[in-house]
Amino acid sequence: MISCRNLTKRFGDFTAVNGISLSVERGAICACLGPNGAGKSTTVKMLTGLLAPTSGDVTVCGQRVTVDAVEVKKRLGVLPEDLGLFEDLSIDEHLLLTADVYGLPKSVAADRIEQLIHALRLAPARRTFAGRCSHGTRKKTSLAMALLPNPEALFLDEPFEAIDPVTSKAMRDILVAASKRGVTVFLTSHILPVAQEIATQFLIIREGKIVWQAQAADLTAPLEETYFELAEPPTHGDLTWLQHPGNA
Amino acid sequence: MKFPANNLYYAAIAFLVMMDPFVMLFVGVVAGIVLFFPLSTDPLRRIPPSRFQLWPLDAAERRLLRMVSPWLNPMTWLVAGFAFWRGVSLGLGALAAALFLVGFLAPSLGLRGKGRSLGLPMLRMGPLGELIRKDLRGLVRTLDFYCALIVGGAAAAWRAAGLLPPDAFLPGTLLALLCISTCAQTLFGLDGRPGMTRYRLLPLRGWQILLAKDIAFVSVALLFTVSLAPLAGFAGALAALAAARYPAIRERRSQLRWRLQSGTSFGGALTQILAMVGAASAVHLYHPLLVLPCLVGWSISLWWGGREVERMAL
Repeated sequence: MISCRNLTKRFGDFTAVNGISLSVERGAICACLGPNGAGKSTTVKMLTGLLAPTSGDVTVCGQRVTVDAVEVKKRLGVLPEDLGLFEDLSIDEHLLLTADVYGLPKSVAADRIEQLIHALRLAPARRTFAGRCSHGTRKKTSLAMALLPNPEALFLDEPFEAIDPVTSKAMRDILVAASKRGVTVFLTSHILPVAQEIATQFLIIREGKIVWQAQAADLTAPLEETYFELAEPPTHGDLTWLQHPGNA
Repeated sequence: MKFPANNLYYAAIAFLVMMDPFVMLFVGVVAGIVLFFPLSTDPLRRIPPSRFQLWPLDAAERRLLRMVSPWLNPMTWLVAGFAFWRGVSLGLGALAAALFLVGFLAPSLGLRGKGRSLGLPMLRMGPLGELIRKDLRGLVRTLDFYCALIVGGAAAAWRAAGLLPPDAFLPGTLLALLCISTCAQTLFGLDGRPGMTRYRLLPLRGWQILLAKDIAFVSVALLFTVSLAPLAGFAGALAALAAARYPAIRERRSQLRWRLQSGTSFGGALTQILAMVGAASAVHLYHPLLVLPCLVGWSISLWWGGREVERMAL
């Protein structure tokens, strides 16, 4: 469903993603992990056509992203890093925009919008302009936009960060249920317990390269242990000057 | 030379030069200030308010920063120059000061609306409906819109009262178009980075995204010219969009709400104004069918711009 070969992105002298190859089967939930700046978001951007790769091929839903971007986009739902919301539209209007652009029939769109508003607890802010909403509400709106057209593949960049626990639980349930119905999910996260709870496939990226990938069934140790070992060991520093409050 | 400004500034300078060529010296000084101080807005607005509040500055230091920062804006110097320069009438000086104050202070005056959309029933207007709604809302949140409203509204009132001679229809139309024309150069200016991301994610062709923006712009242009010379207004709006297509896509500048929008260069503004005036005048003075070449030109610009928008996506 999602595959890429030798995916590379360079920004001048800096190589953000360096020859990544991966494959995610239909109905899988793939959690892409790694420290800040490892190349996770850049990878998501290339997989969704937001960013042109310097080299390498991306195929999503059987189509090459760079060949017919519009056709691919019709089959994807994306929660981008910057959420992709318009300040001058309310949450309701963002969902209507999605329904209109994806050509959902009126009644179907109305039902789905109400269900998403309820499931993601967006009702109190539904008429508020996105520019005036909290970060969490904006993220939930962007997620609702990704889910609304019932996509074949979902790409979610840090979906659980800044989300309240109840909505986070609802989101996990929605993603697991969707994957069981055949929706493929590719997500990035720093919240390892959540990733371990829902993902069926893991990969860890460090300095633009995949340093480890495994199926959930093959995990022999807690994900956190593997992560600390392969991605970045925890630092054990002590800032002694913090012990004397008031000393500038 | 890049000299980012609103088309109204260019027009105001042109009128001043026509009044007194000596004014070029003064304008040159202001242009120099712009080059040396690219912060043509309130510099304090560049600091996130929450960060500014957290800085350990006492009240006197904050007041000092508040007083100093406007002097980094070239318009402050222009207005101050007007105050001491006898060549400018009190009325013109006061108008410049008022425009400056509105532009400078508006973002701080809470003119952000209620932050909620009206609870009206949502009308489904086709695949581009919500994009057009967003773009219209964006236009209404620029000062350019209100300048055009003053011109278009006053013209409509005078015409309704029978006080407006037919000879004034074309100049009135051109003035209203001039007020709103910079917005055609800054079509993506209010979308911000997240908005650009969304455009890249939507399964729409580039020309569809531009079409939504063009419909919003032409609708506003027609609103303000309908009581004057609507066909000329339509032709002028199409020409303004076509002539501004390149800067609107290739030289995108982020814009602020509740301010006059700022184009990219004097050359771009001049080209746009000439195209707009030429198209509107030709349609009004010679033949209504001259609107057809305007439509063709606009269509070509839409086709070219659409391809550019799609390239921008990848």
